[in-house]
Amino acid sequence: MNALWWFALPILLLPIWWHRRKRVQNQAALMATARFLPRTEPRQTRVWRWSDPLLLLVRLLLLACLIAWLADPVYPWRGDTVVVANGADSAWVEREVTQAGLAGAERVALPAAQVLSWVHTHEREWSGDARLLVLGDVPMPAAKPVFGREVTVRTQPTAPSKVERHVYIASERPQAWRRLFAAQDGVEKIVVDDTPGATLDLIIWDRAEAPPATLRASLWWVTNPAAFPELATARALDGLQYADSARGRLWHHPAWPPQTVDAARTLLDTWQHLHIGPRPYTMASQVFPAFKGANAPEPSGALRDILLAILVGLFVLERSLTHARRR
Amino acid sequence: MSLANTTLIAHTTKLDLVIRHVLAGLGHGIHAGRERGAGVEFSEYRSYVPGDEWRRVDWKLAARADRYFVREAERDSHVAVWLILDASASMAEPSRSVEGVDKLTYARTLLACVAAIAQRQGDAFGLVILSDGKVTFTPANRGPRHLQRVLAQLQRTTPAGQLPDTATLKASLHFALSPSAIYATSDLLDWPSPLSLALTRLRQMRHDVRVLCLQTQAEIDASFPDTQAYRDPEHEEGVFRFGADLKEGYRRNRMEHFNQVTAQCRKNDMPLTLAAIEQAPGDVLRRWLRRPSR
Repeated sequence: MNALWWFALPILLLPIWWHRRKRVQNQAALMATARFLPRTEPRQTRVWRWSDPLLLLVRLLLLACLIAWLADPVYPWRGDTVVVANGADSAWVEREVTQAGLAGAERVALPAAQVLSWVHTHEREWSGDARLLVLGDVPMPAAKPVFGREVTVRTQPTAPSKVERHVYIASERPQAWRRLFAAQDGVEKIVVDDTPGATLDLIIWDRAEAPPATLRASLWWVTNPAAFPELATARALDGLQYADSARGRLWHHPAWPPQTVDAARTLLDTWQHLHIGPRPYTMASQVFPAFKGANAPEPSGALRDILLAILVGLFVLERSLTHARRR
Repeated sequence: MSLANTTLIAHTTKLDLVIRHVLAGLGHGIHAGRERGAGVEFSEYRSYVPGDEWRRVDWKLAARADRYFVREAERDSHVAVWLILDASASMAEPSRSVEGVDKLTYARTLLACVAAIAQRQGDAFGLVILSDGKVTFTPANRGPRHLQRVLAQLQRTTPAGQLPDTATLKASLHFALSPSAIYATSDLLDWPSPLSLALTRLRQMRHDVRVLCLQTQAEIDASFPDTQAYRDPEHEEGVFRFGADLKEGYRRNRMEHFNQVTAQCRKNDMPLTLAAIEQAPGDVLRRWLRRPSR
C-alpha cells in the first residue's frame, strides 16, 4: 500500500515548472537616436533557463525525500546469507555451508522457532541474486510457508533438551497421583515437589478446604470444586471443567484421580495438548521456490528514521535559502 | 596630423598623448588670447588721484593738457574658458565603423585639447560635467597642474543617466558672473533640454558659447544593422526596430530635429558645429574653434 506513494513522484514537476524562467529577452542594443524610429513590439525569445538552481535542487530533493518517507522503501542490502538456528551442530553447519558454497556469506543466528518468520519478514532486504540458506533444527510451522524468493532449508534434528515440570500434590492419597506421573515418559520429566516452590507448573488440590491465597501455579487440578467458587460457572469439555482464577487455570474432573492406565494417559495427553502445547517437530529439508504471488510483508520502516532526518535537514535548508533569496 | 585620427583615440587612454598629437597639427594661436599684460591694452584715461603710481601717469598727455591722466589697462578682464561635457547615457553611442570610439570618448578628447590650448595661452579653464542628473564642477584655474586635474576628471567620466534638470543646472551656473568662453559638447538629441536652456541663458548673458554637436556616421547615413532590436539608453521603455523601410523616416525625423536645433542656435547666436566622431579630431577642433563668420 505504501508503495503507491511512488505514483506521487510527478509532483517533482511542480518546482521544475516554477523555476523555469520564461524570461522575455529582447536582445536589444543601445541606440542613442532610437527616438527617431517608430516604436515596435519587442521580439520575445523564450529561453529555457533556471532561476536559483540550488534552491530548485533542494526543493526536488525535499519532495523526493518526502515521497520516499511516505512510501517507506526497503533497500535490498543483504547479500548471500546463512540463517542458523540456535543450538545447531556447528560442525554440521560448516559442512552444509561449504557444500552450498556459501562459506563467505553473512551468518545470522536466531532462535529456531523464529527463523522462518524472520526470513519472511525481512524477505525484501535481500538483493535479487542473493542466496538464502536456513540451517538447524527448524520446527515445522502450522501452515506451509510461502516466500517471495527461493529459500533453502536444511534441517538436522537435535536431541531435545530435558524439560522438568514441577508438580505439587496436596492430597490425602498422594500415591494415587504419583502413580499417574509414573506413566509419563519422554523428554519431559515430572518432578513432584514436597513443598510448593516458586515455579510450579501444576498443583493438584485434592482436599476439601480452600488453598492458601499465596499459592499460585499456571494450572490447578482440583477434585473438590466447592473450594473454588470460579468452578461454579466453569465450562466443560468431555467432562473436564475448566475455569480461570486469580491463582491460575483450574481443571476439574469428577473421576479424578484416574483409576486406569488409559485414563491416566488421556489426562497427561490432554495436559500436553491443551496446556503445554505441542512438542516441536523438526521439518524436513526442502527448498521453497520463489512464489510470485507471495504477499510481501509490510515494510518495517527501517529507513524511515534516516529519511526523516534528511527530510528535516532539507526543510531547514530550503527555508534558509528561500529567506536568503528574498533578501 | 596623420596620426591624429579617430583610431588614435580608440587606441590610447592617455588623454595628454592624444592632445599632443591633435594639437601638433593645429599650431598655436587659433584662439585669440585674451590675457593682457598690465597696461598693454589701453582702455581709457582717467584723472589722476593722489595715490596712483607715478609710472602709470601719461607724461606726454600731461605735457599737452597740463593735467595728469592715468592710463587704465584691462588688467582684470581675463576670459575664463569653461568646458561643458554632456555625459548622459546617450553619449555612450559607439561609432559603428570605428571600433572602440564613442561620443563621450571623442568629446572628452576634444575638450582636453581645448583645455590644453587654454592652458598654453594662460587662460583659466574650468570643467562642468553633466551626468546622471548631477553636475560635477571643477572650478576655473590656470596652470599645468590644473590641466592634469581636468584631464583626470575627464578620464574618470562615464556615461550614465540623464542630464540634470533645469533647476540643478541653473544653480550650478554661478561661474557665469565673469565673461567667459563656453565650449559645450553634447549630442543635442534632447532639444529643448536643460542644457540648451542653460546655454541660451549663458549666451544671453553675453558669454561666448560654442556648441559642438557630436554624431556618428551611422546616424548621418542612417545605416544601422537591421538584425537586432534597439533600445533608447535614456528611456528604458520601448523597443525599436531598424530596417530599410524605416530608413527614410529615420533620416527625415533626424533632419527635422537637427534643423530645429540649428535654427534655435542661430536665433540665439550660438555657433553650432556638427561633427561626426569618425572625422579627424584635428579638423573638428579647427572648425569648432574657428572664429565664426558673421
